[in-house]
Amino acid sequence: MPRARTSHDVDRYLPLKPLVFQVLLGLVGGERHGWSLVREVQQRGGFGRIMPGNFYRTLRSMLDDGLVEESDTRPSAEDDDERRRYFRLTPLGSAVVAAEAQRLEAAVLEARAKKLLTRRS
Amino acid sequence: MPPIDRLVYAVLLFAFPARIRREFGRDMADMFEQQLHMARAAGTRTADIWIQAIADALRHGLAERFTVVKHAAHGTLRATGRWRWWVHAFLKDVRYSLRILARRPAITLLAILTLALGIGFNTAIFSAVNAVLLRPLPYPDPDRIMALWEKRPAEGVFDNPASPADALDWIRMNETFEAMAAMTPAPLDLTGSGDPIRVFAGAVTPQFFEVFGTQPLLGRTFRPDDAVPGRHRVVLLDHGIWRERFGANAAVVGQMVSLSGVPHEVIGVLPETFDFPATTVRLWVPLVFAAGTEPSRTSHYLSVYGRIRRGITVEQARADMDRIGTQLLQQYPDANRGHSVQVTSMAAELKGPIRSPLLLLLSAVAFVLLIACVNVANLMLSQAAARRREMAVRAAVGAGRMRLAGQMFTESIVLGVLGGAAGLCVAWWAIAAVRQLAPVDTPVVGMAHFALEPRVLAFTFFLSLVAAVLFGLLPAWHLSRQNLNDTLKDGGRSPAGVKRKLRVALVVSEIALASLLLIAAGLTIRSFQSLLGTESGFRTEGVLTFDIALPPARYRTSDAQLAAFASIESRLRALPAVRVVGSTSHLPLADNDARRGVAIEGREPTPDTPTRAHVRAITNEYLNVMGITLKEGRAFGPADNPTAPDVVIVNETMGKRYWPGVSPIGKRVRLGGDTEWREVVGVAGDVRFWGLDRPVNPEMYLPQVQFPFPFQTFALRTEGPPSSLAAAAREQVRAVDPNLPLANIRTMREVAADSVSSRRAGMLLLSVFGVLALVLAAAGIYGVMSHLVALRTSEIGIRMTLGAEPASVMRLVLREGLWQAALGLVLGIAGAVLTMRTFRTLLYEVHPADPLTIVAVAALLLATAAAACIVPARRAMSVDPVQALRG
Repeated sequence: MPRARTSHDVDRYLPLKPLVFQVLLGLVGGERHGWSLVREVQQRGGFGRIMPGNFYRTLRSMLDDGLVEESDTRPSAEDDDERRRYFRLTPLGSAVVAAEAQRLEAAVLEARAKKLLTRRS
Repeated sequence: MPPIDRLVYAVLLFAFPARIRREFGRDMADMFEQQLHMARAAGTRTADIWIQAIADALRHGLAERFTVVKHAAHGTLRATGRWRWWVHAFLKDVRYSLRILARRPAITLLAILTLALGIGFNTAIFSAVNAVLLRPLPYPDPDRIMALWEKRPAEGVFDNPASPADALDWIRMNETFEAMAAMTPAPLDLTGSGDPIRVFAGAVTPQFFEVFGTQPLLGRTFRPDDAVPGRHRVVLLDHGIWRERFGANAAVVGQMVSLSGVPHEVIGVLPETFDFPATTVRLWVPLVFAAGTEPSRTSHYLSVYGRIRRGITVEQARADMDRIGTQLLQQYPDANRGHSVQVTSMAAELKGPIRSPLLLLLSAVAFVLLIACVNVANLMLSQAAARRREMAVRAAVGAGRMRLAGQMFTESIVLGVLGGAAGLCVAWWAIAAVRQLAPVDTPVVGMAHFALEPRVLAFTFFLSLVAAVLFGLLPAWHLSRQNLNDTLKDGGRSPAGVKRKLRVALVVSEIALASLLLIAAGLTIRSFQSLLGTESGFRTEGVLTFDIALPPARYRTSDAQLAAFASIESRLRALPAVRVVGSTSHLPLADNDARRGVAIEGREPTPDTPTRAHVRAITNEYLNVMGITLKEGRAFGPADNPTAPDVVIVNETMGKRYWPGVSPIGKRVRLGGDTEWREVVGVAGDVRFWGLDRPVNPEMYLPQVQFPFPFQTFALRTEGPPSSLAAAAREQVRAVDPNLPLANIRTMREVAADSVSSRRAGMLLLSVFGVLALVLAAAGIYGVMSHLVALRTSEIGIRMTLGAEPASVMRLVLREGLWQAALGLVLGIAGAVLTMRTFRTLLYEVHPADPLTIVAVAALLLATAAAACIVPARRAMSVDPVQALRG
C-alpha cells in the first residue's frame, strides 16, 4: 500500500528546472515519444534548439525521480512507430507539474498586482 | 541522415556512460537526425548544429559520467564503477587537502614558493633545451641537410671554409646530393629610403634555398642565370628587413634598391620562418665570380651546405665526397695538399656547440629542484608529525591505511600542482631574463621557440607531479609505518627513532646536492676568471671601434679607397677627445678573418707543415692604439708608402713556427698568388685573435697603403669613456661621405665581452643556481638541524641538570651536526668531480677537482651547518631544565 503523498514530497522538487517543467507540461495530455515532446517545447519557444544529450539526461533524472515512466500503451496503429519509446506522467509527476504551475501562477499574479503585466482585453 | 553523419554522432555518444548509451543511444541518434533535418530545412548551417551537438555531448556526457551518487539522498545508491569511486574519493581528498593547506597559510606558501623556484627555473632551462636541442631544425627534412667543410687532419682542422674553386667542383662532381650550395657573408650598404645602413648579405650559389627547402613568401628565389657576371643584379630580402625597411609592402618585388651603390632588383621576400644561423645576414644575393677569371683555389672563405638525395645515407654521401676530395688532390696537388672534405649533419653543426653547456645547466637546475623537494619533504614530515592524532582518529573511525596514505599523497600532488602553477610565473620571468643572456658569439637556431610552448607546459606539469612524488612519498610512507593505536594512546607524541634517521638522511642529501652544485658553479666562475685573466695581447680599455666598408661602385680604385680612409682618419684624429687613431682590415675577436697561403723564402711547405698566415692590413698607428707590443724590429712608418719596398710585421707565433731559432727580421715572405717578396721588418706580440680560449695562429700585418682592403675597422684611443665618442665619429665620417654607414660601433671592451658571452651566460646562470641552491639548502639544513636539536631538548636538560658545562653540550651538538655535514660534503664532492669530468670541455684552465673551489665550498657549507646547529643548541640550553624534562 503506497504511502500517502504529503505536500512535503511534492515541494521537494520545486522549483522545477524550466526544461523539466516543459516536458511534464507536454505529457499532461497523454503519452508522447521523445522527439514529439522536444518539437513541442521548441515550438513553444524560449529554449532554442534542444539537443539530445540535454534532453535524455533530463529525462533520465525525471525517470529516476519518479516524475515520468515509460508507457506500455501505444497510440492507435497508424500513428505508432515501433521503434519509439513512449513516456507518461506518474501521479507524482502530475502533482509536481500542478504544484509548479500554481507556484508560477502565484508569481504571475504577484507581478500583475505590481502592474508589471497589462491585462490583454 | 547520411551514414557518415550517423557514424560521427555514434562516436560522439561515447562521451556518455555506457548505461545511458544502452538506454537512449538510438533515441538520441534519431532525435539528432530530426534536429539536423529540421535545421537544414530552416536554412541553418550544418556546422552550427554539429558544434552544438559536440558541446552537448561533452557537457552532458561528461557531467553524467561524474555524477556519482546523486541519489544517495533518496537512499538508493546508483551502481557505479570502481574507478568512479576512486575519482570521487580523489576529488574529495583534493578538496580536503585544499582546506588543510589553507589552514596553514605560512607553511603552504613557503612550500609553494620553494617549489615554484625549483620548477620555474627547470621549466625555463628546459624550454631553452626544447627550443635549441629537441626541436628539429626549422627546415623540411632537416636530417638530410649537411654542412661541408674542408678537412685538414694533419693540422687538426675539420671546419675550414672551402675555396671557391673547390666548392664549385664539389657542387658539380657530387652524385649523392640533391642540391648543394656555397655561401659567404658580404657586407653591403643599403642606401635610399632612410639612413644608409650596413647589412650583411649572404652571397650564395643558386641552389642555396633548395638545400634548405625554403619557398619564398613573395616572388622567387635564385635561378642559375642570376649568377652570370654582367647581368643585372638581383636581391632577395629577409622577412625582417622587408618589414623594417620596406614597410612589408608586397609591391617591393620588382623594384630597384641600391646596395653599395649598385642597383639591384628585388626578386623576392623570404618567409619569417626561414631561420638561418647567421642572424646578421639580412639580404641574399647571388654569388658572382668576376668574369674571365678563374675562381681561386687558395683563398678559403665559403661555407658549403648540401641536401642529401632521398634514400642515400650520410655514409654514402661521405664516401662520395671523399672520392671527390681524392680526385681534386690528384688534380691540384699544390693547392689541395692535405685536404679532404668533412661532411657534418647540419643538426650536429648547430646543436653540437651548445649541447653540453645546456645539459650542464639542466642538470644543475635539476639539483636545485631536488633540494627544493628535500625542503618540502621536510616541511611535510613536520606536518605529518603534527597530524598524527588526526590520522589516528580517522583510522579509528574506519579509514584504511591506504586511504590515509592516499590522503597525504593527494596533499603532495595538490601542493606540487600549485607549486607548478606558481613555477610557470617564475619560468615566464626567467625566460625573459635568460633571453637577455642569449650568447652572441655562437649561432643559435630556434630561439624563436624559446618560450612556454605546449611541450614545455607538459614538462612543467610532469615535473610538478614528479616533485610531488619525491617529497610526498616520504611522509606518506612514514605514516603508513606508524602504529596508529599507540599514537591514539600516547596522545600524539611519539618516539623519535624513525623520524630522526629520516631527517639525518635529508640533511646529508641536501648538503651533498648543494655542494655538488656549488662546486660546479665555482669551477665555471674560476674558468671565466682565468679566461678573462688570459693575456689577450691587446688593450680593451678606452678604445672605440667601428667598421667602414667602401662601396666598390663609388670607390673603384684602391687609390680612391685609400684617400677616403686617410681623410676619415685625419678628421677623426682632429677630434679633441681622440688620442690616437688606427685601423685594421681584421679586428681581433670580431669574427672575420682572411687566411692565405704564404711562401717562406728558403722553406718548402710539406703536407705536414703547410705555410699559411692570416693577413691583416693595418695603418701605421694601429699597433699603438691597440697596445700590441712590438717584440723586435720596427713598426710601420710614413716611409712604407705604396712605392717603397713591400714590408710585413709577423706575430711571434709565425716567427717561431717558420724561422725557428732565428730572428725573422730581414727574412722574406710572399703571399700565395703574388710575385713580389715582402721583407719582415718587425715582430709583434701574439694577439688572441680567435677568442680568449683559442690558440694563436701565424699572423702577418701589412701596411694598408701597400695592401689595401675596401673595408677597415677603425680603432680610436680616447680620453674618457670611448662610447661617448660614437656620435662625433659618425659625424666626421658623414662629412667625408654622407652615404657611408658606420657598422658595429662597439668599445673594444664590448668586443671582448661579446666574444665570451656564451661562457658568461653559462657562468651567470650556474652562479644564480648555485646561490639559489645555497639559500634553499641553508634554509633546509637549518630547519632539519634545529628540529633534530629540538628533539634532544630534554636530553640537553638532563645533561645540564647533572652539571654538564655549556661548552661541552655545544660540542656534543656541533660534533653530530658537522659529522652529518661532512658526510654530505664527501658525497657531494665525489659527485661533483665525476660530473664535471664529463663537462671538462666547458672548463678553461681549471681542473675538475680544483682544490681552491672545493675548499671554499666545503668551508661555506660547514659554516652554514654549524650556524644551523648553534642557534637551536643555544635555545635548548637556555631552557629551564625542569621545563625540558617535563617536555
